[in-house]
Amino acid sequence: MATAPLLDRQFLERLERLTIHWHRSFPGLVGGHNRSQFAGGGQEFLDHRHFHYGDDLRAVNWRAYMRLEKLFLKMFQVEPRVPVRLLLDVSASMEAPRPDKFWYARRLAAALCYVGLVRLDTMVLQPFADGLGERFLCGGGRHRFSPAVAYLTALQARGRTGFLHSVRDFLSRYSQRGLLIVISDFLDEDGCEKALQYLADFGHELVLVQLWAEEDRNPPWAGELDLVDAETGQQLRLQVDDAARREYTQAFDTYAASLQRLAERAGGRYLGVAADSPLEEVMFGGLSRARVVA
Amino acid sequence: MFFLNLSAAEVLALLSGASALVVALYLFDRARRTVRVATLRFWVEARQPVQAHRRTRIQQPWSLLLQWMGIALLLLAIGQLQFGPRAGAPFDHVLILDTSSWMAARPPGTGGGQLIDQVREQARAYVRALPRHDRVMLVRADALATPATAFESSRARIEAAIAQSAAGVTALNLPQALEFGRQAQRMAGGRAGEIVFIGAGRMPASARAAGGDPAPPNLRFIRVADRIENAGLRRIELKRSPSAPDTWEIYVSARNYGVRPRTTPLTLRFGGAPVGSRQLTLPPGAEGEVSFTLRTAAAGVLEARLVHRDGFPLDDRVTLELPAQRRLRVAVYTADPASLRPLLEADPRLAATFRRPDQYEPQPEAEVLILDGFRPQAPPARDAIWINPPGGGPLALRQRVENARLIRWNSEHPLGAGLRSKDWTLASAAVLVAGPEDIRVAETEAGPVIVARAATPRAVVLGFDPARSPLRFELATPLLFANAFRWLAPGIFRREEVSGGSVGTVRMAVDRATPPEAVRVAHEDGATLPFTLQNGVLTFFSGTRGTVSVSTGDREVTYSLTLPEVGDARWEPPPGVRRGVPPAAAPMAAASDLWPWLALAGGLVLFVEWLLYGRRSAGVRRGMRPVWKPARWLAAWRTRRSES
Repeated sequence: MATAPLLDRQFLERLERLTIHWHRSFPGLVGGHNRSQFAGGGQEFLDHRHFHYGDDLRAVNWRAYMRLEKLFLKMFQVEPRVPVRLLLDVSASMEAPRPDKFWYARRLAAALCYVGLVRLDTMVLQPFADGLGERFLCGGGRHRFSPAVAYLTALQARGRTGFLHSVRDFLSRYSQRGLLIVISDFLDEDGCEKALQYLADFGHELVLVQLWAEEDRNPPWAGELDLVDAETGQQLRLQVDDAARREYTQAFDTYAASLQRLAERAGGRYLGVAADSPLEEVMFGGLSRARVVA
Repeated sequence: MFFLNLSAAEVLALLSGASALVVALYLFDRARRTVRVATLRFWVEARQPVQAHRRTRIQQPWSLLLQWMGIALLLLAIGQLQFGPRAGAPFDHVLILDTSSWMAARPPGTGGGQLIDQVREQARAYVRALPRHDRVMLVRADALATPATAFESSRARIEAAIAQSAAGVTALNLPQALEFGRQAQRMAGGRAGEIVFIGAGRMPASARAAGGDPAPPNLRFIRVADRIENAGLRRIELKRSPSAPDTWEIYVSARNYGVRPRTTPLTLRFGGAPVGSRQLTLPPGAEGEVSFTLRTAAAGVLEARLVHRDGFPLDDRVTLELPAQRRLRVAVYTADPASLRPLLEADPRLAATFRRPDQYEPQPEAEVLILDGFRPQAPPARDAIWINPPGGGPLALRQRVENARLIRWNSEHPLGAGLRSKDWTLASAAVLVAGPEDIRVAETEAGPVIVARAATPRAVVLGFDPARSPLRFELATPLLFANAFRWLAPGIFRREEVSGGSVGTVRMAVDRATPPEAVRVAHEDGATLPFTLQNGVLTFFSGTRGTVSVSTGDREVTYSLTLPEVGDARWEPPPGVRRGVPPAAAPMAAASDLWPWLALAGGLVLFVEWLLYGRRSAGVRRGMRPVWKPARWLAAWRTRRSES
């Protein structure tokens, strides 16, 4: 599977019509494609404010001064460049029980990366497990996509998931707020709600993409099982029957709902994706409906 | 009830083994599994106490029972389970049809029908007399035993194979066919029925003498009447006369296969014109031979014919293609043609033209040049014989010697074959300088005086003049020139023989010293035929009519195998062998096939088990969850439809 190309050419051509959108206003340099409520060096008039020492005299409304003999400064709406950061879970649970979940996650990250590159966004691919891995920064057009694919292809899933530790690292490393897309199965034994809340409170706009394999949500096994945790190696011996499976699925759905509530409460968005669903359907269906891309 | 010829107890034992295997696989399938999962946190919430199961407990007896039933049914189906009395079990019969060349004979009073028609009719009668479930393998027997069908119970297919059987061109080899039938019954593994031979039983005496195993005890012989008077050609051989190469010596042999003496004219035609005729008297069962002489150097078709009417006309006529007598053109450049003329005109295969040395051309219209006593400016572009050339000709001259005695001939080389004269005294001879690649044919004490060069063009250099010295009265002189011409143009002097005979096995006497790599046996289409070479006898087999060329060094024999091979002996079955077509089998309660129904039922049971205890995915394969999949599929289809 690792030798196959992440995305084929026909799919990339279809992705070119999409744009990554964020809803919050972020400060930043001009050149983006989402408006911000912060004033800056844009073209669209936003408001007036009082002149303060050190303001640019070119923005003074001289007509108002002639009439009112007070200095007012014209403020303009800015469309800032905001970096889009992709937090990609590379813990061992992404390859359990089958490796296609991690493969799917990398394909999804590559697709979002390509959409951002086409619109000249700056993309930051940041892997994490129990801490942040080495990031990959790219921007400036689609011709930078090939190194991103090579980077994603070379990623390997290993280690435990440590959301809290990873988020602390992230907040200390990236001071500029922006759109943050988290692609993960969110299966952290210590829970990830608290860490995600930190991110939201810091000012990032969260997009949580929860990936699961069919066995993660609807385990097909029955009978006497020795369950082994892919990350910790812990074993659990169970007698599984229909009732146990139903309870398992119910617990999983409850957890997914809590993630969705957290994202929406923080002004972000949530999308649950089964790893056997077509990626095209996710990009043009689920993510579009969640208004992550349009 | 039969099951691969096993008894009921053996079937039960086999079934028990299969059942034990199914149960073991079932228990293995239901054993505790180790599964690697992404997290345990949701399992903890859904956790259930581990029950103290015994590993060997059957947790889903219906699934096991269905699997066992399905496998048992399929096992019985594979074994072609049948119900019925043991006596109703089918037999495997081998039906050997005589398709030898003799089956093309036309017995009197049949309106032009052939013996093979009777064979086919008897075969059909035999097949119709067999019980309906008996299987029959049809074998066509001539020199080879060729199965036309496998053991077949379809009467339509057997009768179609019978109808397609026709007389061949080779003689019958019945022992081989009977052995084939015996082995076929042994390997089929069923109940061996009869081995039936239908034919006249006429085969070569050599095949009958070879014998083989005695007739099988289950042999049945159905003879077709072949009281046919026949006399036919057996062989025709043509050789070029050793004294007159443009004359063919022809030997024709014929045989009377009938029971009455016969006198019949034998005519010979060449190119459509009669060239000879003899009256041939043949006693019953005897062979006669006549010889002819035909003088011709031209190519043409020779036909030998027995002018009479009999029941087997295929062996009354034989034709052969005679090759033309090729001649070697020799251009002789000499100032004294009278000295060489007797030497070159003695052999009709040589066509010599004499010219003066000043008329020399490097490329004249000749295959071989003789340069007598001169050395041309331009070297010849053809093979050449140099006689006493000035300066050694193409070779360097070492010295001239007088009254030198020849002390050695190279008898191992074709140029010196048969030359052993040691009393030659050369009045004057040039001793030549021979290179490492050159062939020293004759030597004096001072060195070689006859040297040959094998490089193209070939050259033979004589350091003396044998025609203008007393040596011309020596026997070795014409032999030396004959060897030289044979070495320079081997194709012209190759011994040619033409032989007409019958297809089948051909034996030919060759020189015992002939190595196998020097022998080539090729059919007229260019395909080489395998052969054996043992004790001076070359043996090969040709199953089709045509021309086969055998070359063994300096000898080439062309076999025109156009005559059919006719057996000259009659096979008689040993006493006790059943004869004739048996009466039709009384209809009995035959065993009926159950395997199609068993296979269907087994597949159905396994399908139901798969539906109830689905195993579609890898995960489900490890589980025991009964899933009614149609309901699930219907729900999924409804969901998709509502979404669309």
